Parts: sequence; structure tokens; C-alpha cells
Amino acid sequence: MRSIIVGAGAVGRHLCAQLSIEGHEVVLVDKDLQQVRRAERDFNIMAIEGNGASAKVLQEAQIEKADLFIAVTDIDEVNLIACILAKEFGVTRKIARVRNEEYLSSSSPLNEYRLGIDLIINPDQVMTNEILKISEISEAFEVVDLAKGEAVLVGYDIKEANPVCGISLADLKELKGLYDFVVVAIVRDGQTVIPRGGDQILPGDKLYIVVRRKDMAAVEELLSLRSKAPRKVFIIGGGDVGLRVARALESQKVEVYMVEADARRCELLADSLQHSVVLNFDGLDAHDLISEGIDTADLVIAVTESDTTNILSSLLAKHHGAKKSIIRISRPDFIPLLGKLGIDVALSARLVAANMILKFIRRGAITSAASLLGSDAEVVEFIVREKWPHVGRQLHSIEFPEGVNIGAVARRGEVIIPSGNTVLQAADRLIIFAIKDSIPLLERLMTQ
Amino acid sequence: MKIGGITTILGWLLIFLALALLTPIGVSLYYGDGMWRVFVAVAAITFCCGAGLVALFKGEDDIGHREGFAVVGLGWLVAAFFGAMPYYLSEAIPSFIDAYFEAMSGFTTTGSTILERVEALGPSLLFWRALTHWLGGMGIIVLSLAILPILGVGGMQLFQAEMPGPTKDRLAPRIQDTARILWGVYTLFTLIETLLLMLGGMSFYDAICHSFATLATGGFSTKTASVGGFASAYIDYVIVIFMFLAGMNFTLHYRLLQGKWRQVFRNEELRFYIMMGTGAACLILIFNYIYGTYDDIVQNLRYTLFQVWSIVTTTGFGTADFDQWHPAARIILVSLMFIGGMAGSTGGGIKHVRLLIFFKYAKIQVQKLIHPKSVNTMKLDGHRVPDDVIQSILGYLSLYIVVAAVATLVVTGQGVDIVTGFTAVIATLNNIGPGLAGVGPVQNYADIPALSKVVLTLCMVAGRLELYTLAVLLVPAFWKNSHPPRLRFVRGHAAKRR
Repeated sequence: MRSIIVGAGAVGRHLCAQLSIEGHEVVLVDKDLQQVRRAERDFNIMAIEGNGASAKVLQEAQIEKADLFIAVTDIDEVNLIACILAKEFGVTRKIARVRNEEYLSSSSPLNEYRLGIDLIINPDQVMTNEILKISEISEAFEVVDLAKGEAVLVGYDIKEANPVCGISLADLKELKGLYDFVVVAIVRDGQTVIPRGGDQILPGDKLYIVVRRKDMAAVEELLSLRSKAPRKVFIIGGGDVGLRVARALESQKVEVYMVEADARRCELLADSLQHSVVLNFDGLDAHDLISEGIDTADLVIAVTESDTTNILSSLLAKHHGAKKSIIRISRPDFIPLLGKLGIDVALSARLVAANMILKFIRRGAITSAASLLGSDAEVVEFIVREKWPHVGRQLHSIEFPEGVNIGAVARRGEVIIPSGNTVLQAADRLIIFAIKDSIPLLERLMTQ
Repeated sequence: MKIGGITTILGWLLIFLALALLTPIGVSLYYGDGMWRVFVAVAAITFCCGAGLVALFKGEDDIGHREGFAVVGLGWLVAAFFGAMPYYLSEAIPSFIDAYFEAMSGFTTTGSTILERVEALGPSLLFWRALTHWLGGMGIIVLSLAILPILGVGGMQLFQAEMPGPTKDRLAPRIQDTARILWGVYTLFTLIETLLLMLGGMSFYDAICHSFATLATGGFSTKTASVGGFASAYIDYVIVIFMFLAGMNFTLHYRLLQGKWRQVFRNEELRFYIMMGTGAACLILIFNYIYGTYDDIVQNLRYTLFQVWSIVTTTGFGTADFDQWHPAARIILVSLMFIGGMAGSTGGGIKHVRLLIFFKYAKIQVQKLIHPKSVNTMKLDGHRVPDDVIQSILGYLSLYIVVAAVATLVVTGQGVDIVTGFTAVIATLNNIGPGLAGVGPVQNYADIPALSKVVLTLCMVAGRLELYTLAVLLVPAFWKNSHPPRLRFVRGHAAKRR
């Protein structure tokens, strides 16, 4: 399959890496020659220097052969025009990254339907959603909704003092009693392991668990993890993302402190927020942060434009006693390092946007997907088709590729946490946890 | 630098080479020359070494450009080492330096030989000699890229290190597809030539060996008298045509097969290549006529065309002893040796496109002298040539001169006469084959001293990989910060225990 990606920024590069590994024929278009050369050196793709909104350049990229078109430059208008051109060339699926709200609202004269674009992504909106999802549970560093929210995939850090340390998964199964859940993966020392019954849980592990939403509290109790909605939240950085998060949290009756360095922006924030406290000082001003009580915050969300400010202010907050920190970072390479420093969650807006695009691309055989930050694994959903040869067979009799673990089966709105004896039926929605390399194999199995 | 990534790919390369070493066994059994035992043994050794490397060390996922250079540079040296074993173990070539020279001459498509009498080698060893040409012509690493699925991420690095050249023309977004297309065209042409040669009365065996050597622009023949031994004008002209095709950029062939004629004929390098070849042929025709080398014009045309295209494309087949020609004709041929084929062809040399850009650069300098304030950009096929490409070509040319000078110094320092020594270096550095005087078309490299043979062998591989790939391996800074390879099984246990 030929895919054309316009824009060799972080999102474009992430997509290039991912799609080329999956065997797509990727052509990247960017107007910066240095970026083009770098991408061609780093990935197995063809890169062309030129303006992505030019028909001539797109013809050079052989757009007539493409069936996927993704425009993710920094300029909204370039992305939109590129997608409109792609439509003229008959590309089936077109995705654009657009920041400007005007293009996003359904009432505007130019929205995605009128422009014929299949998916418009606003990185700020996606980022806000991601932050809100994680802020719901204090102990989890990652929460992914599965099967329309019926089940969730949660990621937990296992700390040194946790009593489950040293217990094997088989023993954990004995303990769990009535509650069904599957430990789908363990990330240990940066490597993702698909665990077997004999594997032990060790301190420092990241545990990925699939569980019914209603059983989540019980499972957390079992794993000696506590979760509660935050009561006091500090948001450092009153930009677009900060404002969106603040609005959403306000509506959940959370006490919000908004810190913003720009005085005029503060006025605007104070106008648009209801009960939040808007504070006008720099996020690195330790004295002011402490005197406003950041030490007693349940959650600190640092989303300024500056990575340094985000990292330092959340480290400061954690040092003084804040319970959890979520930060935005523009350089995804640093994410593994931040965990070691004590920052609970670091999100890269670009990676989050790239993952959302990947999720959309896999619509079809795979209905939804999330790639997990800091691990080389993904969650994918498949719907079992009626003609699939393995319908009516037990799970253990189906040869799934290595590095694949079935997390849940959703059947007629009900979520089943499967065992080897679970029999698959048509229209079942399988939620599968898979190492990235095994996804093409899995796809082949599922589309037999 | 991660050595683990290098060892794994080298391991796969050796496994692939072991498979290639199995093919001469069939030839040996058919002709009953008894060499099959040698090939079985060498294939087994090569396979074990390769499998050992793959099994012992853990591979690395990301192959950077440094690893790419290391894999290709070492890959060629190692491949020639194992490729030399059949000659050495069968005792057909008793000295290992000679065997290594012969194998490297094969893989780098040079075609220089140390054999006094080629036929003495026997059919299966001669087949292996031709096969090394064919494998090396389009690049062993690129071939394994096309076939083996293991080379995913770092493919581009390897491709660039093995198929260097100032311009690049990707045929398909995925490097594997590009490699497959190139090898497909290459194989197709080989088959067509084999068929045409058989129509001219060659045996299937001779036809396929000569096709291997032609398409790879190699020059190893199955006869001591080279193509001249067949004494057929038809065979001469078929080989001239296919030498011409092999010296062309293979992406152009693919475009031709796609029916994009206009795009191909507008290619500036192709025009330059045709112009150089025909221009040189015309001049030599005249000199041969004046000198009275040949009795009639038909013979003159046949022999001149063959020798000229054999040299321009760096093939090195011979139908006439051009060492006996007019001195001006000889100097034209030596000058042609430097240029070589087109970029992206299987030929060696500096490549026409570099010379073309070089000339364009000189033209701009002249322009600058006439209009000091003028702004000039260089264009090739309507696209602008970036400044760093021009700079890298200037760098390449100076490195080329240094390498040629040092190698000539070593060879003549050992008492080889000037013409022989100089043309031997030029003929090996440009992957041509025969030079003049002591290494002329009817002579061979047997009498060159051993140390000089080693230097010439290095010239061949340096020329084939266009200097830089081999040159960086010699710089100590290149090997700094290397991670030693990790053992496969040890690491697995450690991870579980932690």
C-alpha cells in the first residue's frame, strides 16, 4: 500500500517509522532538503523535497498510486490544500492536522465534510483528552478505553513496597477470586514481555492489565493500588491545552489553580474560567508555587510551551509533596528518562496525534488501536467476521503469532475476560495486546 | 557503532554466499571435473561461519550509516576471502594471495587475472569465476537486500554504501522493492544475452559465463584468448551491445521497460556516455586506419568498437591486442579507463556523471571570470545540483588521485616498470581488467610481486565501493565508541533473572 505523508516534523517522522515497518510504501514530502535527507537516511522510505500543496510535487510522489494521504505540516492551510489536491487525485483516505478551530466546528462553512477530508486532527484537543483520561485515576500512568469504554486497559507502576512483588501470575490468578482480569504485558527495563503464568511480578515493572471498567476498583485493591479523583489540581501553562483541561476539570468540581506567566493571557483565562484561581507568575518561580500550596496538590499538569519549565516545575512540585505529575514534552526521546526522574506521565503532543492517526488508518480490519507510550506494544481491536475460519473454536486451539495476547472479548455489549477455553463467535470484538512487529502477522491471521 | 548489527548481517551474507557456492557443484557433476568435493567443503565452511555469526551474536535493530559502511566494506573483504577458497583448496591456484586477487577481481567485476592459461582451471571453477562477477556486479549486499527479509530498517544505509554515486534515483519507496527491480532487470538482460550468444553458436555453458561477465562489466572469459577466442563477428557485436547496456544506469533500463523513452533519452549523463564512447571510437578508427593496423574497414570497425566499449564500460573483454595499436589510440583508451560507466551501472571508474558535473563546474568558473557578478546554478536533467554534491565530487576526485598515486608508488617501488605499474593501478582501481605493457590484453598479472598484488586487490575493492566506503574503515575515529556484540544466549538468561 502506498502512503504519502506531507511534513517531516515529529508526527510525520513517527508515522514514517511506523508505517514503513508495517510494509507500507511510504513517500514523504517536505520542503526542507535537510529534513528530507535525514528521513531518507533514517527510514525505509522515499523522500521528496517540495511543497506538499503543489500538484506537481504530488505527481512526482506518484499520488495516483496512493490510497492514504496524511498532511501533518505546521501550517493548517498547507495541510488542507494538500488534502483537497489528494481528493482530486482520487486518494481514498485523507487525514489533515489542523489547529484552527474554525475548520473543526461542524457549523463552519469549511469543515471536514465539505472539504472531503476523512479525519481532521487537532493536536491540542487530542492532548487534552489524553490528559483528562489519565487524570481520572491517580495511580495509573496509562488508561485506554476499549470496546466503547466497557473495558479499560490500565498501566500501573509496581513500586518496591508493593505486596504483589514476587508473586507469579498464576498465583495472582488464584488470589483474584471473582474478578476477571488479564495481565496482558509487563514492561521491564524498557522491554515489553508478553507474560506467561510462571512469570513473577518484580518491583519496577510496569503492568498492563485489561479489566472491565466496573471491576477496576476491586482490581486496584487487589494490587494494593489506590485511586481517587484528584481534588486539587495545579495547571502550569495557560495555553490552549491548559485552558481546555481547566474547563473540563472545573465541570468535574475539581479545585483548579492555573499558573500563567503572561499577564494578558491571564486576563483572558480569568474571563473564560468560572471558579478556577488564575495566578500570574512564572512556572519556575518556586517561592510563589509553594506559597500557593502546590505541595498539597493531588495532581500537577505542566503544559507550557517550554519543556524545561514543564520538567522543572513538576519535579519541584513532586519534591514538595504533590502526588502526581503529568507533563507535556515536545521531544519524545526524553520520555523514558523522565520516568526515572520521578515524573509520572510525560506526553508528547505529536506522538499522541500520530497514534490517533495510526488508530484511524487501521480502521477496517482493526477497529481501534492505541500505542502505549514508552513501550513497543500496541492495543488493537478486531471484529471477528462471520467467514473467518476460526469462528466457533476455542482460543487455545487458534495459533496466534508470538508476542500477542488476547485481553478481552466484547460480545453484544458485554465484556468477557477470556481464558483458553473461551469459544469465539462471529461479531465478537477481540481486544488484543501485541508487540508492534507481530501486528502484520496478526492482521494476516485475522483477515484469513 | 554497534558491532552486533554488523556481525548479524555479515552472517546472513555468508549464508547467502554458501548458497551461491552450491551452484558450481551442478556444473562439476555435469562435466565430471571432480571439483564438487571442494565446493561442498567450501559451502559448508562458509555456511557454518555465517550461521555461527547469526546464532552467536544478538542482532541490532537500528543500523546507522556507520554500521552500513562497516557492513559493506567488511562484507566485500570477507566475501572475497570465502570466494577465494575454491581456487586455493582445489590447488588450482597454489598461492592464497593469488587466489584472493582472483576472487576479488571477480566480485569487484574487474576481470584482471593471474592465470597464465585460463582453461587449466576446469569448467566448475571457471563457472564460479563468472558467477562472482555476476553476484558482485549489482552488489552482493543489494542482492541479499532483495532476497532476505532480515534487512528492514538499515536497508537504506547498506544500499547507499554499496551503490554509491552522486545522484540517486529511487525506483520505489521501499528499498527492498528498488533492489528487486534492479536485480530483475539485471537477470532479464542476462537471460536475453545468453540466448543471443547461444544463437551465435556458443555452448550454453560459455554463453551463460560470458553473459555473467558482460552484464556485470567484469571481463572474465572461459578462454585465455577472451572473446577473441570465439572468432565470430556476431558474438562480438552481441557482446558490444550488452556491454553498452551494462554500462548504463539500470534505473534507465527500468524506465525504458516502462515505456518512458523520452525521459530516458533526455538524460544528460546518457548522452554524455554515448558521446564519449562514439567519439573515442571514431578517433581510434582514424588512428588505426592511418597506422594500418587492420587491412579493411570492416575489421577495423569491429575490433575498435569492441575494445572501446569494453574499456568505457570497464568490462575488459578483449578481441584484439590494443597494446600494439597506435600510441595515440592507446592513450585514448587509458584516458577512457578513468571515466568508467554511468552512475548506477555495474561499471567502475569515476563515472560519467561526476565528470559531467566537474565540466559544468569548470564552465561556471569561466562564466564567473567573464561576468564576476553573475549568479550561476548548476542543473542536471533540469534539477538543481546542490552545492554539497559538487563538493563531494571534488573531494572524491582528490581522494582518487591520492589513492592512484600512492598505489602506483608502491607497485613501481617494487621494480615494476612505469607503464605496467601505472596502468595496472588504473585498470584495477577502475575495475577494468587489462592495462598496457606487462598487464596488457594478452598478458596477465602473474608476474606482479606479491605485495603489489595485495595493493592492487585493495584498489579493486576501493574502486568498486567508490573509495569513501573503504576509506572510512581505515580512520580510527570511525571505530571509536563501538559496542561489542552481545552474545545471544547469555543475554536471554540475564534478562529473565533480573
